[in-house]
Amino acid sequence: MAGKVSLDPRTKLFMVLAISSLAVFLTNIYLLLLVLLLAVAALAFAGGSIVDLLGKLKRLIAIFIAIVFVQSIFTKGGQPLLQAGELVILSDIGLTRGIQTMLRFFIILSSAAIMTTSNPREIIQGLIQCKVPYEIAFMVTVAIRFFPILRDEVNDIMTAIQLRGINLKQVPFLKRLKTYSYLLSPMLFSVFMKSQDLSVAMEMRAFRAYPRRTSLRVLHFRTQDYQVMALCTIIFLAIVFTALKAG
Amino acid sequence: MMIALNAVSFRYPRGNWILKDINLHIESKKCTFMVGPNGGGKTTLGKLMTGILKPTLGDVFVDKLNTKQAKLYQVGTKVGYLFQEPERQIFAATVRDELAFVMELKGIEKEVIEQRVEVALVRFQLQEVADSFPFQLSRGEKQRLALATVLMNNPSFLILDEPTTGLDVERKERLSEIIRELKKRGTGMVIISHDERFVEKHADRIIIVAGGGARDGG
Repeated sequence: MAGKVSLDPRTKLFMVLAISSLAVFLTNIYLLLLVLLLAVAALAFAGGSIVDLLGKLKRLIAIFIAIVFVQSIFTKGGQPLLQAGELVILSDIGLTRGIQTMLRFFIILSSAAIMTTSNPREIIQGLIQCKVPYEIAFMVTVAIRFFPILRDEVNDIMTAIQLRGINLKQVPFLKRLKTYSYLLSPMLFSVFMKSQDLSVAMEMRAFRAYPRRTSLRVLHFRTQDYQVMALCTIIFLAIVFTALKAG
Repeated sequence: MMIALNAVSFRYPRGNWILKDINLHIESKKCTFMVGPNGGGKTTLGKLMTGILKPTLGDVFVDKLNTKQAKLYQVGTKVGYLFQEPERQIFAATVRDELAFVMELKGIEKEVIEQRVEVALVRFQLQEVADSFPFQLSRGEKQRLALATVLMNNPSFLILDEPTTGLDVERKERLSEIIRELKKRGTGMVIISHDERFVEKHADRIIIVAGGGARDGG
Protein backbone atom coordinates (compact mmCIF):
# COMPACT_ATOMS: atom_id res chain seq x y z
CA MET A 1 0.00 0.00 0.00
CA ALA A 2 2.93 2.32 0.76
CA GLY A 3 3.58 4.74 -2.06
CA LYS A 4 0.17 4.25 -3.64
CA VAL A 5 -2.02 6.29 -1.31
CA SER A 6 -2.41 9.83 -2.55
CA LEU A 7 -3.62 11.93 0.37
CA ASP A 8 -4.57 15.57 0.26
CA PRO A 9 -1.73 17.69 1.76
CA ARG A 10 -4.25 19.10 4.26
CA THR A 11 -4.88 15.57 5.52
CA LYS A 12 -1.15 15.10 5.91
CA LEU A 13 -0.90 18.42 7.73
CA PHE A 14 -3.68 17.27 10.04
CA MET A 15 -1.78 14.04 10.77
CA VAL A 16 1.46 15.95 11.39
CA LEU A 17 -0.26 18.39 13.78
CA ALA A 18 -1.95 15.57 15.70
CA ILE A 19 1.24 13.53 16.01
CA SER A 20 3.46 16.51 16.89
CA SER A 21 0.97 17.75 19.51
CA LEU A 22 1.06 14.34 21.16
CA ALA A 23 4.86 14.44 21.16
CA VAL A 24 4.82 17.75 23.04
CA PHE A 25 1.96 16.84 25.39
CA LEU A 26 2.90 13.28 26.43
CA THR A 27 5.49 12.41 29.09
CA ASN A 28 4.87 8.67 29.42
CA ILE A 29 7.69 6.85 27.61
CA TYR A 30 5.50 3.90 26.51
CA LEU A 31 2.91 6.25 25.01
CA LEU A 32 5.65 8.27 23.30
CA LEU A 33 7.00 5.02 21.86
CA LEU A 34 3.51 4.13 20.63
CA VAL A 35 3.16 7.55 18.98
CA LEU A 36 6.56 7.09 17.33
CA LEU A 37 5.40 3.76 15.87
CA LEU A 38 2.20 5.42 14.67
CA ALA A 39 4.20 8.27 13.10
CA VAL A 40 6.40 5.79 11.23
CA ALA A 41 3.32 3.85 10.10
CA ALA A 42 1.69 7.10 8.94
CA LEU A 43 4.83 7.97 6.98
CA ALA A 44 4.80 4.57 5.26
CA PHE A 45 1.06 4.98 4.55
CA ALA A 46 1.68 8.40 2.97
CA GLY A 47 4.32 6.88 0.69
CA GLY A 48 7.46 8.02 2.52
CA SER A 49 10.67 6.01 2.81
CA ILE A 50 11.26 4.42 6.21
CA VAL A 51 14.83 3.49 5.19
CA ASP A 52 15.66 7.17 4.55
CA LEU A 53 14.06 8.13 7.87
CA LEU A 54 16.05 5.52 9.80
CA GLY A 55 19.24 6.81 8.16
CA LYS A 56 18.45 10.33 9.41
CA LEU A 57 17.53 9.14 12.93
CA LYS A 58 20.71 7.02 13.16
CA ARG A 59 22.84 10.13 12.69
CA LEU A 60 21.17 11.76 15.72
CA ILE A 61 21.76 8.91 18.20
CA ALA A 62 25.08 10.37 19.48
CA ILE A 63 23.37 13.72 20.21
CA PHE A 64 20.69 12.00 22.25
CA ILE A 65 23.18 9.98 24.25
CA ALA A 66 24.85 13.31 25.07
CA ILE A 67 21.43 14.75 26.10
CA VAL A 68 20.95 11.87 28.58
CA PHE A 69 24.21 12.76 30.33
CA VAL A 70 23.56 16.53 30.24
CA GLN A 71 20.08 15.97 31.74
CA SER A 72 21.61 13.76 34.45
CA ILE A 73 24.30 16.29 35.36
CA PHE A 74 22.00 19.33 35.50
CA THR A 75 18.80 17.76 36.94
CA LYS A 76 18.67 17.59 40.71
CA GLY A 77 17.22 14.54 42.47
CA GLY A 78 16.67 10.98 41.31
CA GLN A 79 18.74 7.89 41.92
CA PRO A 80 22.31 8.10 40.68
CA LEU A 81 23.18 5.28 38.28
CA LEU A 82 26.73 6.42 37.60
CA GLN A 83 28.73 8.99 39.49
CA ALA A 84 32.27 10.32 39.77
CA GLY A 85 32.79 11.54 43.34
CA GLU A 86 30.04 14.09 44.08
CA LEU A 87 29.12 14.56 40.42
CA VAL A 88 26.19 12.49 39.18
CA ILE A 89 26.98 11.53 35.59
CA LEU A 90 23.92 9.36 34.99
CA SER A 91 20.71 9.35 37.03
CA ASP A 92 17.34 7.66 36.56
CA ILE A 93 15.64 11.05 36.02
CA GLY A 94 18.30 12.07 33.50
CA LEU A 95 17.90 8.79 31.67
CA THR A 96 14.09 9.14 31.59
CA ARG A 97 14.20 12.75 30.39
CA GLY A 98 16.86 11.94 27.81
CA ILE A 99 14.74 9.11 26.41
CA GLN A 100 11.66 11.39 26.40
CA THR A 101 13.56 14.08 24.50
CA MET A 102 14.90 11.52 22.03
CA LEU A 103 11.45 10.05 21.40
CA ARG A 104 9.94 13.54 20.97
CA PHE A 105 12.57 14.48 18.39
CA PHE A 106 12.11 11.19 16.56
CA ILE A 107 8.33 11.63 16.50
CA ILE A 108 8.56 15.21 15.23
CA LEU A 109 11.09 14.24 12.53
CA SER A 110 9.04 11.22 11.46
CA SER A 111 5.82 13.22 11.28
CA ALA A 112 7.52 16.12 9.46
CA ALA A 113 8.78 13.60 6.88
CA ILE A 114 5.10 12.96 6.01
CA MET A 115 4.90 16.45 4.48
CA THR A 116 7.86 15.72 2.19
CA THR A 117 5.72 13.14 0.38
CA SER A 118 3.69 15.99 -1.18
CA ASN A 119 5.14 18.25 -3.83
CA PRO A 120 5.73 21.90 -2.78
CA ARG A 121 3.03 23.24 -5.11
CA GLU A 122 0.41 21.00 -3.45
CA ILE A 123 1.54 22.10 0.01
CA ILE A 124 1.15 25.79 -0.92
CA GLN A 125 -2.30 25.09 -2.32
CA GLY A 126 -3.25 23.11 0.79
CA LEU A 127 -2.17 25.95 3.08
CA ILE A 128 -3.98 28.55 0.96
CA GLN A 129 -7.19 26.51 1.12
CA CYS A 130 -6.69 26.40 4.91
CA LYS A 131 -6.88 30.24 4.71
CA VAL A 132 -3.17 30.75 5.35
CA PRO A 133 -2.08 33.95 3.48
CA TYR A 134 -0.33 33.09 0.21
CA GLU A 135 2.87 34.92 1.21
CA ILE A 136 3.22 32.82 4.38
CA ALA A 137 2.37 29.61 2.52
CA PHE A 138 4.97 30.45 -0.11
CA MET A 139 7.63 31.10 2.56
CA VAL A 140 6.92 27.74 4.19
CA THR A 141 7.32 25.99 0.87
CA VAL A 142 10.55 27.81 0.06
CA ALA A 143 11.94 26.69 3.43
CA ILE A 144 10.99 23.06 2.74
CA ARG A 145 12.37 23.31 -0.80
CA PHE A 146 15.76 24.63 0.33
CA PHE A 147 16.54 22.14 3.11
CA PRO A 148 17.82 19.40 0.75
CA ILE A 149 19.85 21.98 -1.20
CA LEU A 150 21.57 23.20 1.98
CA ARG A 151 22.22 19.60 3.02
CA ASP A 152 23.82 18.89 -0.38
CA GLU A 153 25.99 21.99 -0.02
CA VAL A 154 27.27 20.90 3.39
CA ASN A 155 28.03 17.46 1.94
CA ASP A 156 29.90 19.03 -0.99
CA ILE A 157 32.02 21.19 1.32
CA MET A 158 32.89 18.17 3.49
CA THR A 159 33.73 16.23 0.30
CA ALA A 160 35.92 19.07 -0.98
CA ILE A 161 37.78 19.26 2.36
CA GLN A 162 38.46 15.53 2.38
CA LEU A 163 39.44 15.52 -1.29
CA ARG A 164 42.27 17.84 -0.34
CA GLY A 165 43.73 14.83 1.40
CA ILE A 166 42.58 15.73 4.91
CA ASN A 167 41.48 13.03 7.32
CA LEU A 168 39.33 15.06 9.70
CA LYS A 169 39.55 12.34 12.36
CA GLN A 170 43.29 12.85 12.60
CA VAL A 171 43.14 16.64 12.74
CA PRO A 172 43.66 18.00 16.30
CA PHE A 173 40.38 18.93 18.02
CA LEU A 174 40.79 22.74 17.93
CA LYS A 175 41.83 22.75 14.29
CA ARG A 176 38.91 20.44 13.51
CA LEU A 177 36.52 22.92 15.15
CA LYS A 178 37.98 25.65 12.94
CA THR A 179 37.40 23.39 9.93
CA TYR A 180 33.75 22.95 10.88
CA SER A 181 33.43 26.72 11.21
CA TYR A 182 34.35 26.85 7.51
CA LEU A 183 31.00 25.23 6.79
CA LEU A 184 29.18 28.34 7.99
CA SER A 185 30.44 31.04 5.65
CA PRO A 186 29.63 29.31 2.34
CA MET A 187 26.25 28.23 3.71
CA LEU A 188 25.28 31.70 4.93
CA PHE A 189 26.52 33.29 1.73
CA SER A 190 24.66 30.76 -0.36
CA VAL A 191 21.43 31.33 1.61
CA PHE A 192 21.68 35.11 1.13
CA MET A 193 22.48 34.77 -2.56
CA LYS A 194 19.63 32.33 -3.13
CA SER A 195 17.13 34.50 -1.29
CA GLN A 196 18.27 37.53 -3.28
CA ASP A 197 17.98 35.68 -6.59
CA LEU A 198 14.62 34.28 -5.59
CA SER A 199 13.25 37.70 -4.64
CA VAL A 200 14.38 39.14 -8.00
CA ALA A 201 12.84 36.19 -9.85
CA MET A 202 9.59 36.68 -7.91
CA GLU A 203 9.46 40.39 -8.72
CA MET A 204 10.13 39.61 -12.39
CA ARG A 205 7.16 37.26 -12.36
CA ALA A 206 4.94 39.93 -10.76
CA PHE A 207 4.56 38.31 -7.35
CA ARG A 208 1.69 40.04 -5.48
CA ALA A 209 0.91 42.26 -8.46
CA TYR A 210 -2.81 41.68 -7.93
CA PRO A 211 -4.53 41.45 -4.55
CA ARG A 212 -6.60 38.41 -5.50
CA ARG A 213 -4.98 35.16 -6.62
CA THR A 214 -6.68 32.37 -8.47
CA SER A 215 -5.41 28.80 -8.65
CA LEU A 216 -5.27 26.55 -11.68
CA ARG A 217 -5.46 23.48 -9.50
CA VAL A 218 -7.85 23.30 -6.57
CA LEU A 219 -7.58 20.50 -4.01
CA HIS A 220 -10.62 18.43 -3.11
CA PHE A 221 -10.93 16.09 -0.13
CA ARG A 222 -11.73 12.51 -1.08
CA THR A 223 -13.34 9.77 0.97
CA GLN A 224 -9.98 8.38 2.02
CA ASP A 225 -8.97 11.80 3.40
CA TYR A 226 -12.06 11.90 5.62
CA GLN A 227 -11.40 8.33 6.73
CA VAL A 228 -7.77 9.05 7.60
CA MET A 229 -8.68 12.23 9.51
CA ALA A 230 -11.41 10.43 11.43
CA LEU A 231 -9.07 7.58 12.33
CA CYS A 232 -6.39 10.09 13.31
CA THR A 233 -8.85 11.94 15.58
CA ILE A 234 -9.98 8.71 17.27
CA ILE A 235 -6.38 7.60 17.90
CA PHE A 236 -5.44 11.09 19.13
CA LEU A 237 -8.33 11.22 21.60
CA ALA A 238 -7.70 7.63 22.76
CA ILE A 239 -4.04 8.41 23.51
CA VAL A 240 -4.90 11.68 25.28
CA PHE A 241 -7.57 9.91 27.33
CA THR A 242 -5.12 7.10 28.26
CA ALA A 243 -2.45 9.64 29.21
CA LEU A 244 -4.89 11.61 31.40
CA LYS A 245 -6.14 8.43 33.06
CA ALA A 246 -2.58 7.26 33.74
CA GLY A 247 -1.94 10.67 35.35
CA MET B 1 49.39 5.88 -11.41
CA MET B 2 46.28 4.59 -13.15
CA ILE B 3 42.54 4.92 -12.77
CA ALA B 4 40.67 1.79 -13.80
CA LEU B 5 36.92 1.30 -14.11
CA ASN B 6 35.91 -2.34 -14.32
CA ALA B 7 32.34 -3.08 -15.48
CA VAL B 8 31.06 0.03 -13.72
CA SER B 9 27.37 0.88 -13.70
CA PHE B 10 25.80 3.65 -11.69
CA ARG B 11 22.39 4.86 -10.70
CA TYR B 12 21.06 6.91 -7.80
CA PRO B 13 18.75 5.06 -5.37
CA ARG B 14 15.39 4.48 -7.07
CA GLY B 15 16.69 6.25 -10.20
CA ASN B 16 17.43 5.20 -13.77
CA TRP B 17 20.83 3.91 -14.84
CA ILE B 18 23.11 6.84 -15.63
CA LEU B 19 26.13 4.75 -16.66
CA LYS B 20 26.12 1.13 -17.79
CA ASP B 21 28.97 -1.35 -17.91
CA ILE B 22 31.85 1.09 -18.33
CA ASN B 23 35.35 -0.34 -18.76
CA LEU B 24 38.08 2.29 -18.88
CA HIS B 25 41.77 2.51 -18.10
CA ILE B 26 43.08 6.02 -17.72
CA GLU B 27 46.84 6.22 -17.76
CA SER B 28 48.85 8.81 -15.92
CA LYS B 29 51.03 11.38 -17.70
CA LYS B 30 48.35 11.80 -20.34
CA CYS B 31 45.66 14.37 -20.87
CA THR B 32 42.37 12.57 -21.40
CA PHE B 33 39.30 14.55 -22.34
CA MET B 34 35.74 13.43 -21.68
CA VAL B 35 33.28 14.97 -24.12
CA GLY B 36 29.64 14.39 -24.91
CA PRO B 37 26.15 15.88 -24.65
CA ASN B 38 24.69 17.40 -21.49
CA GLY B 39 23.30 14.78 -19.15
CA GLY B 40 25.43 12.06 -20.75
CA GLY B 41 27.11 11.13 -17.46
CA LYS B 42 30.50 12.89 -17.76
CA THR B 43 30.37 14.54 -14.31
CA THR B 44 29.06 11.31 -12.77
CA LEU B 45 31.98 9.43 -14.33
CA GLY B 46 34.41 12.04 -12.96
CA LYS B 47 32.89 11.73 -9.48
CA LEU B 48 33.14 7.93 -9.67
CA MET B 49 36.86 8.27 -10.48
CA THR B 50 37.45 10.17 -7.25
CA GLY B 51 35.22 8.09 -4.98
CA ILE B 52 32.76 10.96 -4.40
CA LEU B 53 30.21 8.54 -5.84
CA LYS B 54 30.52 4.80 -5.38
CA PRO B 55 29.63 2.51 -8.30
CA THR B 56 26.35 0.63 -8.02
CA LEU B 57 27.97 -2.28 -9.87
CA GLY B 58 31.61 -2.94 -10.68
CA ASP B 59 34.76 -1.40 -9.21
CA VAL B 60 36.80 1.74 -9.59
CA PHE B 61 40.49 1.59 -8.73
CA VAL B 62 42.65 4.64 -8.12
CA ASP B 63 46.11 3.11 -8.20
CA LYS B 64 45.43 0.09 -6.03
CA LEU B 65 42.70 1.74 -3.96
CA ASN B 66 39.21 0.43 -4.55
CA THR B 67 37.00 3.51 -4.12
CA LYS B 68 34.26 1.35 -2.57
CA GLN B 69 36.47 0.77 0.46
CA ALA B 70 38.79 3.78 0.32
CA LYS B 71 38.13 6.94 2.30
CA LEU B 72 37.86 10.20 0.35
CA TYR B 73 40.98 11.66 1.96
CA GLN B 74 42.98 8.62 0.78
CA VAL B 75 41.91 9.25 -2.82
CA GLY B 76 42.38 13.00 -2.22
CA THR B 77 46.11 12.54 -1.56
CA LYS B 78 46.49 11.13 -5.09
CA VAL B 79 43.76 12.83 -7.12
CA GLY B 80 42.72 16.48 -7.23
CA TYR B 81 39.15 17.23 -8.28
CA LEU B 82 37.82 20.52 -9.63
CA PHE B 83 34.04 20.76 -9.22
CA GLN B 84 31.89 22.08 -12.05
CA GLU B 85 30.62 24.80 -9.69
CA PRO B 86 33.69 26.39 -8.05
CA GLU B 87 31.62 27.74 -5.10
CA ARG B 88 31.25 24.15 -3.96
CA GLN B 89 34.91 23.89 -3.02
CA ILE B 90 35.55 27.34 -1.62
CA PHE B 91 34.95 27.99 2.06
CA ALA B 92 37.56 30.22 3.71
CA ALA B 93 37.16 33.90 4.58
CA THR B 94 39.81 35.21 2.17
CA VAL B 95 41.51 33.99 -1.00
CA ARG B 96 44.80 33.77 0.90
CA ASP B 97 43.21 31.63 3.67
CA GLU B 98 41.64 29.39 1.06
CA LEU B 99 45.04 28.65 -0.47
CA ALA B 100 46.72 28.16 2.92
CA PHE B 101 43.95 26.02 4.44
CA VAL B 102 45.26 22.53 3.65
CA MET B 103 48.87 23.34 4.50
CA GLU B 104 47.83 24.80 7.87
CA LEU B 105 45.92 21.64 8.73
CA LYS B 106 48.92 19.57 7.72
CA GLY B 107 51.08 21.57 10.14
CA ILE B 108 53.44 23.03 7.50
CA GLU B 109 55.59 25.94 8.71
CA LYS B 110 54.03 29.38 8.40
CA GLU B 111 56.86 30.82 6.28
CA VAL B 112 56.67 27.96 3.79
CA ILE B 113 52.88 28.39 3.59
CA GLU B 114 53.19 32.14 2.93
CA GLN B 115 55.78 31.54 0.24
CA ARG B 116 53.70 28.91 -1.55
CA VAL B 117 50.55 31.04 -1.31
CA GLU B 118 52.36 33.98 -2.94
CA VAL B 119 53.55 31.73 -5.79
CA ALA B 120 49.98 30.45 -6.35
CA LEU B 121 48.55 33.99 -6.28
CA VAL B 122 50.94 35.06 -9.04
CA ARG B 123 50.53 31.85 -11.03
CA PHE B 124 46.75 32.19 -11.11
CA GLN B 125 46.69 36.00 -11.35
CA LEU B 126 44.87 36.40 -8.05
CA GLN B 127 47.20 38.95 -6.36
CA GLU B 128 44.64 41.76 -6.72
CA VAL B 129 41.99 39.81 -4.84
CA ALA B 130 44.25 38.04 -2.32
CA ASP B 131 42.44 39.51 0.70
CA SER B 132 38.92 39.51 -0.76
CA PHE B 133 36.01 37.34 0.31
CA PRO B 134 36.14 34.44 -2.20
CA PHE B 135 32.38 34.33 -2.73
CA GLN B 136 32.35 37.85 -4.09
CA LEU B 137 34.85 37.09 -6.85
CA SER B 138 33.79 36.80 -10.47
CA ARG B 139 33.03 33.35 -11.88
CA GLY B 140 36.41 33.25 -13.66
CA GLU B 141 38.29 34.28 -10.50
CA LYS B 142 36.48 31.63 -8.45
CA GLN B 143 37.36 29.05 -11.10
CA ARG B 144 41.04 30.03 -10.93
CA LEU B 145 41.01 30.02 -7.13
CA ALA B 146 39.38 26.59 -7.01
CA LEU B 147 41.99 25.19 -9.42
CA ALA B 148 44.80 26.84 -7.44
CA THR B 149 43.58 25.24 -4.19
CA VAL B 150 43.43 21.83 -5.86
CA LEU B 151 47.01 22.22 -7.10
CA MET B 152 48.29 23.36 -3.68
CA ASN B 153 48.02 19.71 -2.69
CA ASN B 154 50.39 18.59 -5.51
CA PRO B 155 48.17 15.73 -6.71
CA SER B 156 49.67 13.22 -9.14
CA PHE B 157 46.38 13.09 -11.03
CA LEU B 158 43.77 15.75 -11.76
CA ILE B 159 40.12 15.58 -12.71
CA LEU B 160 38.83 18.92 -13.94
CA ASP B 161 35.13 19.39 -14.59
CA GLU B 162 34.62 22.17 -17.14
CA PRO B 163 37.72 24.19 -16.15
CA THR B 164 37.32 26.77 -18.95
CA THR B 165 33.82 27.89 -17.92
CA GLY B 166 33.80 31.62 -17.14
CA LEU B 167 37.37 32.22 -18.32
CA ASP B 168 38.15 34.95 -20.85
CA VAL B 169 40.53 34.34 -23.79
CA GLU B 170 43.60 35.52 -21.86
CA ARG B 171 42.77 33.40 -18.76
CA LYS B 172 42.02 30.41 -20.96
CA GLU B 173 45.48 30.77 -22.50
CA ARG B 174 46.96 30.96 -18.98
CA LEU B 175 45.08 27.77 -18.08
CA SER B 176 46.52 26.17 -21.24
CA GLU B 177 50.02 27.08 -20.06
CA ILE B 178 49.30 25.53 -16.65
CA ILE B 179 48.05 22.35 -18.30
CA ARG B 180 51.20 22.18 -20.45
CA GLU B 181 53.35 22.67 -17.29
CA LEU B 182 51.44 19.91 -15.51
CA LYS B 183 51.83 17.57 -18.49
CA LYS B 184 55.58 18.24 -18.51
CA ARG B 185 55.70 17.40 -14.80
CA GLY B 186 53.94 14.12 -15.54
CA THR B 187 50.61 14.93 -13.86
CA GLY B 188 47.86 12.84 -15.41
CA MET B 189 44.59 14.60 -16.20
CA VAL B 190 41.00 13.87 -17.05
CA ILE B 191 39.27 16.99 -18.29
CA ILE B 192 35.55 17.27 -18.89
CA SER B 193 34.93 19.95 -21.47
CA HIS B 194 32.63 21.24 -24.19
CA ASP B 195 35.27 23.65 -25.46
CA GLU B 196 36.27 22.05 -28.79
CA ARG B 197 39.34 24.25 -29.39
CA PHE B 198 40.59 23.57 -25.88
CA VAL B 199 40.07 19.83 -26.41
CA GLU B 200 41.93 19.90 -29.75
CA LYS B 201 44.82 21.80 -28.20
CA HIS B 202 45.50 19.48 -25.26
CA ALA B 203 43.91 16.08 -25.80
CA ASP B 204 46.10 12.98 -25.92
CA ARG B 205 42.97 10.88 -25.79
CA ILE B 206 39.26 11.66 -26.16
CA ILE B 207 36.50 9.63 -24.53
CA ILE B 208 32.95 10.22 -25.71
CA VAL B 209 30.42 9.78 -22.91
CA ALA B 210 26.84 9.52 -24.10
CA GLY B 211 23.70 7.51 -23.50
CA GLY B 212 25.12 5.77 -20.43
CA GLY B 213 28.20 4.48 -22.27
CA ALA B 214 31.79 5.58 -22.87
CA ARG B 215 33.88 4.93 -25.98
CA ASP B 216 37.18 6.11 -27.34
CA GLY B 217 36.84 8.91 -29.83
CA GLY B 218 40.43 9.50 -30.84
